Amino acid sequence: MSIKRILPLLVLVLAGLGALFSGPLTAQERPGPLRIIIDEGVIEPLPFAVPDFIAENAAAREYAARITRIVAADLQSTGLFREIPKEAFISSVTSFDAPVQFGDWKAINAQALITGAVSVSGRRLTVKFRLYDVFSGAPLGKGLQFAGTTASWRRMGHKVADAVYSRITGEGPYFDSRVAFIAESGPKNARVKRLAIMDYDGANVQYLTDGRALVLAPRFSPAGDRLLYTSYESGFPRVYLLDLGSLRRRALDEQPGTMSFAPRFSPDGRTVLLSLSVGGNTDIYSLDLATGNRRRLTSAPSIEIAPSFSPDGRQIVFTSDRSGSSQLYIMPAGGGEPRRISRGKGRYNTPVWSPRGDLIAFTKQNKGRFHIGVMQIDGTEERLLTSSFLDEGPTWAPNGRVIMFTRETAGAGGTSALYTVDTSGRNLRRVPMKGAASDPAWSPLLK
Amino acid sequence: MDFPQGMAFEEEALPRTGMIVSGALHLGVIALVLLSPFFRSRDSARTVATTEVSLISPEEFAALTVPEASRPEVPRAEIALPVPAPEAEAAPAISPERPEEPQSRPAAAPLTPPEPVAEEAPKVETPPAPPVAEVEDTPPEPPAPEALALAEPPSDTPTPREAPRVAPEPAAPAPPEALPDEVLREEVSQSPEAVEKKPETEPTAPPEASTEIVTEAEKPASSAPVSSPRPRARPARPAPPVAVAKAPPAEAAAPEKDGKDAMAAAIAAAVEDAASTPAPVASSPAAAAGPPLSRSEKEGFRLAVSRCWNVGALSAEALRVTVTIGFSLTRDGRPEPASLRMISASGGSDGAARQAYEAARRAILRCGARGYNLPIEKYEHWRDIEITFNPEKMRIK
Repeated sequence: MSIKRILPLLVLVLAGLGALFSGPLTAQERPGPLRIIIDEGVIEPLPFAVPDFIAENAAAREYAARITRIVAADLQSTGLFREIPKEAFISSVTSFDAPVQFGDWKAINAQALITGAVSVSGRRLTVKFRLYDVFSGAPLGKGLQFAGTTASWRRMGHKVADAVYSRITGEGPYFDSRVAFIAESGPKNARVKRLAIMDYDGANVQYLTDGRALVLAPRFSPAGDRLLYTSYESGFPRVYLLDLGSLRRRALDEQPGTMSFAPRFSPDGRTVLLSLSVGGNTDIYSLDLATGNRRRLTSAPSIEIAPSFSPDGRQIVFTSDRSGSSQLYIMPAGGGEPRRISRGKGRYNTPVWSPRGDLIAFTKQNKGRFHIGVMQIDGTEERLLTSSFLDEGPTWAPNGRVIMFTRETAGAGGTSALYTVDTSGRNLRRVPMKGAASDPAWSPLLK
Repeated sequence: MDFPQGMAFEEEALPRTGMIVSGALHLGVIALVLLSPFFRSRDSARTVATTEVSLISPEEFAALTVPEASRPEVPRAEIALPVPAPEAEAAPAISPERPEEPQSRPAAAPLTPPEPVAEEAPKVETPPAPPVAEVEDTPPEPPAPEALALAEPPSDTPTPREAPRVAPEPAAPAPPEALPDEVLREEVSQSPEAVEKKPETEPTAPPEASTEIVTEAEKPASSAPVSSPRPRARPARPAPPVAVAKAPPAEAAAPEKDGKDAMAAAIAAAVEDAASTPAPVASSPAAAAGPPLSRSEKEGFRLAVSRCWNVGALSAEALRVTVTIGFSLTRDGRPEPASLRMISASGGSDGAARQAYEAARRAILRCGARGYNLPIEKYEHWRDIEITFNPEKMRIK
C-alpha cells in the first residue's frame, strides 16, 4: 500500500480524534470542586441593625423604644457586635410581619437585623422579636415572645438580647443576670461599705446592708436566691447567709474564738466552703447548711483560703502559702492531697472556677502590679487579661465568657470600680455605676 | 709571501701611442652619439599625455555594458553648465593705431576678456533643484498608535538612512563583518567538506550607498517622542466565545465530480471540521475546562473569603469546629445561596457546628455579594467550590 493511499486515512483518523477530544465535556468529565482551606479570618464586631420595636398599642410606645435601647446596649457591650446607627437606615420597619427588604440592610452592611414589637395590656408587657441573617436573607431561628410585668421591662430587653447573642455566637446568655457587690462611699481611710445588688449593667442598684458594719466578699447561691458574705458586725470576720427574698440573714458557724471568711456555695447549694481560722491556723472547711455539720478539708500549718468548687462539685481550687508564697492548689471536694497548679512567678489569689469548668480565674500579684488572669485547670496556658495598680476579685458571668473584677486606682483619692473583660482579654469595660464598688459576685442567670 | 733577497723589479717604460689613438676614438663615438638624431627618441620630444585609468571589477564592467534599455532608470540631476560666451562682435579689434588719447594701456585690451554685452550674453541658468529621489522602498509606516504608545513621527517625509556616498544603484547594507571594498566578494572559509581548498579571504562589500545625500540642514528631526500621550485604557475583557450555529456544508465542500477530488475534499472537510470545532461556551455545563486556576488565583479567592470570615462573635466551642462548606458560584462569581450546604463538621457539638457554619456562610455570601474575581474562562474550575474553615489559628490559646 503506497503512502499516498495511507495518508488520507491517517488524516481522517487524526481529525476524528481531534474532534472527539475537543468536544463537549460530560458531567463526569467536568473537573471536581475547587477545594480551598481557610485558616485565618478576622476578629471584628458584627454589624447589626435594630430598628425601634413596633409599639402595637399606645401604652407600649414608651416601652418599645426603651427595650430597643436595652437590646442594642447589651449586644454592643460585648464587643462582639456593632450597632449601625438609625441615621444609616435606608428602609424602616413599620410592621412586625412586613417582609424585610434585605437589600436595604445589605446596602448598609448590616449582617444581623432584629425586629420586634411590644404591646402592653394593663400591667402585662409582651415583647416579641425576630432575628434575621441579612446576607442569607433568612431568619435565624424562630421568633420569640416574652411576657412579664411592666416593671420588668429591662429584663425583657435583656432577655431579647440574650436570645440574639446566643443565637449568633453560640455562647450562653448572661445579660439577664445580677451582680452583688460592695458599694463604697466616703474617704479611703473611713470608707463605708454596704452590701448591694444590681443588674449586670449597673442599673437597679439596691442596698442590702446599712453600712454600719464592714462587709466583704458576697457570693451568690447557685439558684441566685441567697447570698453569703463576710461581715465584721461582731468585731471579727464572720460569714453570713442572706435570703434575698426575705432579706433575712444568719451567721454561719458561730463558734467563739474563730474567724470565718471567704465563703462559697457548692454547686448544689447545700454546702458552703469557707476558711476558718482557729487558733491562728486558717484552713478550709465545708459546712452543711441543713445540718450545720462542719468538716475540715485541709490541715496544713499554712494558710488555706478562698476555696471554689468546680462546677461538677468534685474538686476544689484554693489558695495556700504552704510553698512560701500564695499559690493555687486543687484538691478533691472531700479533701486530700492538694496539687499545685500555679507555676508562674508572683503570688496567686482568689481563684474562681469557671461555670464551664474549663478555666480558673485568679488574681496575680507580680512586680508591683496586679493582674486578672485565667489558666487551664491543670495550670497551663496562663493568660493575664488585665494589669493595673490593683485588680482583684474576679467573678464569672453565667456563660463563662466574661469576667467582672474590682479595679482600684492608686493614691489617697483612689477609688474602686467594677470592670468587665472578655476571657480573650478584649473588651475591657467599666461597669457604668454612680458610686464606687468592689467585690463583685455575678449571679446565675435569672429564672 | 716572502721574496728572495736580492731580487728587484725594474720598471720599464711602455710605448703610449695606442692609448692616445683609443682615447681619441672613444671621444669621437661619444660626440657622435650625442650629436646624432638617430639615437634621439621620437617621443622624447613629445609631452607625455597621461590618462587616468581606474580599475573596475568584471561585475562593474558588466553592469556598465548592459544595454541602455535594460538599465534601470536612475534619476539624474540635469545641470546646465554655463556656456562660454562667444566673442562679442563689438569687441574692439586690435587696432594697430594707437588711440589719440590713450586713457589706459591699450596693449592690455586684447588680453582682457571682452566684456559681454548685456543683451546678447547667454543667460546663466540657475541649476534646478535636484529632484527628490524617489526611493522604491515603501517608506516605513508610522508606528500604529495601538502598537506603540509613542508620539507620531515628526514628519511624513521618509528619512532614509544617511550614507556617505551616492551610487548609481543603491547598494545593500553590508554585513557588519564585511570590510569596505569596491568589489563584492563572498566570504570564503575553510570547510572540512570542501574538496578544493581556497585561500581564506575576508568578506568585502562595497560601501553602503544611498540615493541622495542628506545634508545636515535636511537631517530629519529626532525620532524621540515629542509628546506623552495618555495611556490607553485597559482593553476590555474579551467577550466569552459565543457558539455559532454551524453553517450547512458549503458548496465548496460538496463532493466533486472527480473521485480523486471528492476524496481530497472529504479529507479537507474532516480536517476543517476538527479544527473549527465550536469554541467552548462558558455557560454551557459541558464547556471545556481549560487550564486550572493558578496558585495566585486560588490565593486571591482564598483571601477574598477569609477577610469576611469573622470569628470574633463565635463561641469558644464553635472556634474548635472545623467546618467544610460546599456551594456553587454563578458565572459572575456570586454564590448561589440555595447551594450552600455543610459538607462536614468536626470538633464540637451540633450547636457549635451550626454557629461555625453560619459564620462561614456569612463570609461566603457577604464577600461574594458583588461576585468574586475569578477568571471566567476557567469557570468550570470554580463553579463548584468546597471551602474548609479551620479556626485553629484563630482560637484563643
